[in-house]
Amino acid sequence: MRLKDIFTSAIFLKSIFALSLFILVIISAISYKHNSSLTRAKEDLIHSYSVRNELELLHSYMKDAETGQRGFIISNDSSFLAPYLGARKNVNRSFFILKKLAVNNKKQQINLDTLYDLVNLKFLYLAKTLNAVSETKTIDSATTLNLLQGKMVMDRIRGRINTMIEIEKIDLKNKQERMESAISFTPLFTFLLLIFSLFVFIASYIKINNNIMVLEDSNAQLMLSTASIRHAEKIGNFSTWHWDLTTNEITFSENQKALLGVETNAPLKIAQFLSFVHPDDKHLIEEGTKKVLMHKLTSSSFFRIIRKDGKIRYFKSIGKIVTDQSGKKILIGINTDITEQHLESLSLEERNKELEQSNKELASFNYVASHDLQEPLRIIQTYISRIEEKEIDTLTSTGQDYFERIKSSANRMQILINDLLLFSRTNKFEKVVEATSLNELLENALIELSPTIEDKNATIEHDELPELKVVPFQMQQLFINLLNNSLKYSKKGVAPVIKIKCELVFAQDVPELKADPLKQFFKITFTDNGLGFEQQYADNIFVLFKRLHHKNEYPGTGIGLSICKKIAENHSGFIRALGIPDEGATFTLYLPYLS
Amino acid sequence: MQTDPIYVLLADDDVDDRLFFKEAFEEIKIKTEVQIVKDGMELMNHLCKPGINLPHILFLDLNMPRKTGMECLVEIKTMEQFKDIAIVIYSTSASEQDIEQTFVNGANVYIKKPNDFNTLKKILSEVITINWQYHTSGLDRDNFLLSL
Repeated sequence: MRLKDIFTSAIFLKSIFALSLFILVIISAISYKHNSSLTRAKEDLIHSYSVRNELELLHSYMKDAETGQRGFIISNDSSFLAPYLGARKNVNRSFFILKKLAVNNKKQQINLDTLYDLVNLKFLYLAKTLNAVSETKTIDSATTLNLLQGKMVMDRIRGRINTMIEIEKIDLKNKQERMESAISFTPLFTFLLLIFSLFVFIASYIKINNNIMVLEDSNAQLMLSTASIRHAEKIGNFSTWHWDLTTNEITFSENQKALLGVETNAPLKIAQFLSFVHPDDKHLIEEGTKKVLMHKLTSSSFFRIIRKDGKIRYFKSIGKIVTDQSGKKILIGINTDITEQHLESLSLEERNKELEQSNKELASFNYVASHDLQEPLRIIQTYISRIEEKEIDTLTSTGQDYFERIKSSANRMQILINDLLLFSRTNKFEKVVEATSLNELLENALIELSPTIEDKNATIEHDELPELKVVPFQMQQLFINLLNNSLKYSKKGVAPVIKIKCELVFAQDVPELKADPLKQFFKITFTDNGLGFEQQYADNIFVLFKRLHHKNEYPGTGIGLSICKKIAENHSGFIRALGIPDEGATFTLYLPYLS
Repeated sequence: MQTDPIYVLLADDDVDDRLFFKEAFEEIKIKTEVQIVKDGMELMNHLCKPGINLPHILFLDLNMPRKTGMECLVEIKTMEQFKDIAIVIYSTSASEQDIEQTFVNGANVYIKKPNDFNTLKKILSEVITINWQYHTSGLDRDNFLLSL
């Protein structure tokens, strides 16, 4: 999965929400902890102040009691004793409160116990002194000792209370410090978390917003392509369908109904569709379906439909299995009404067959005709040779002359038939092409023509020719015929010079080859210094039996160059002639270069 | 001089060709005994007659009614008793297909009927004097088609 896919996947969005939720829970937990810490700190503070306050109260009660006692001793007035008398009750209440406050503090409990003992001792001394003074009305030495001891106890009480207050203070301070250190990082942490979650939320928002925009875009495009498909289906005479292999449900596109000639708003059911299939072709659909299901490949079936109006239409159905995002396998396909194409191709096939047949007949007629013509001709020629050998002397000179004419006509006929045979042989392209050196073929042609070349004292110069895929005997025949033509139509008294040149050209440089400008052709030119011809006959000389000269001047059948043209065309090439009367002719052969 | 005549058999449906063939052998100065049949059916009947001298060389035209030369060739080559007969195809056709097929089917030499009597004589005497031992043992596609 690519990075981009990860960012756009639904899982990614879900993870972001899970993360945000998790962060929120953490923030809540931290806030709760923070708050409860603050509450506890406040409680600790109150507790500490309560303890101190109560201890101060206790101290002042004790001082009140002592002051009251002193006032009574000095003035002997019992009204001074009121604070002393109330003190005991107050002190006890204070102790009760302090006990409750110190319930979680062992040290303070011990201190409190000690303090309680000291307070009791103090009260004991106070009571002793008070009793002695009430009885004697004077202060004796024992009372003085009592007072002294009472004062010492009082000092210890004060000391103890101060100690306790001090402990309470330190305790509070420790607790405050601990709490502060515990919650000091919370605001920053919470803030960072908030910022982070805010960032995540904004990112998700942008992402979702983008997704929605993409979705809207896709929706618009989907609508457009749906409309296009509908349009295309109508124009192209096809319908689409998909077959959910899990639920075994087949859905056809709207146009299927039109193709069947049905007019209804209800969706088309498969059974309904199958009822239109030609009874003889129902098995074809089954087979096609089986094939695509078995081999998991694209499969096509070809069947007929009997439309609602009774007309038979030819359909082609192509199916393919696809897997959707949820891994569901769906067979999707196209039904095309190919009636027109089918009928057209049928008639084309028919015509092709006819053409092929007539071509074959023509070729075989040509071959058989020239072949069978040979037989009687050969008999005639053999009889001619018999008469020439044995009976010629018995003829009159006129008879001998006629006989000579019969002989030359028969020979001419034989040349014609041979050439015709050669021509009909080039008709068939059943010979396989093979990579052949044109050089070698040209050399062979030169050897074949060597008697004429020597006879005419001809010079033939040629470039190095390439190796090409050709039918060797045909290409050699082409060379022979072209050279023969040049040798035959040479100027009287001038030794023929034939120059053969070869170059590779692009089709765009050849006016006749505009079709495929980048194709390359070998351009082989045969230039002679012979009789040449008027350019207006340039095309005529390649036509079968067409000749520019009288047969008495230059013997020939008018087939040689037609054979050249045919062979060039057999090799997907062509040949052109350029003539200048009394200067010479140039034959240009173009052969495709197949790399 | 050889004493035993060479038995030559021709199967050809063309009356003129039969005439030329006979006359040619009459003029060739080699002791031969020429027999002629008019088509493939007659040829097979003749060969299967008991007590006849089997030909040394059989000249077989290809294009014959009832049974073609090609059919005769295939048939003769399947029969053990005819294994020593040298078979010369003697036809107007010189098509590659015919030459190829007769060669494959075991013919020894292929002659294209010439247009001229003298050539015919030459080519027939050439065939008669072939060293058949050599020619039958080393079948060679290149000199299968005999030309002068």
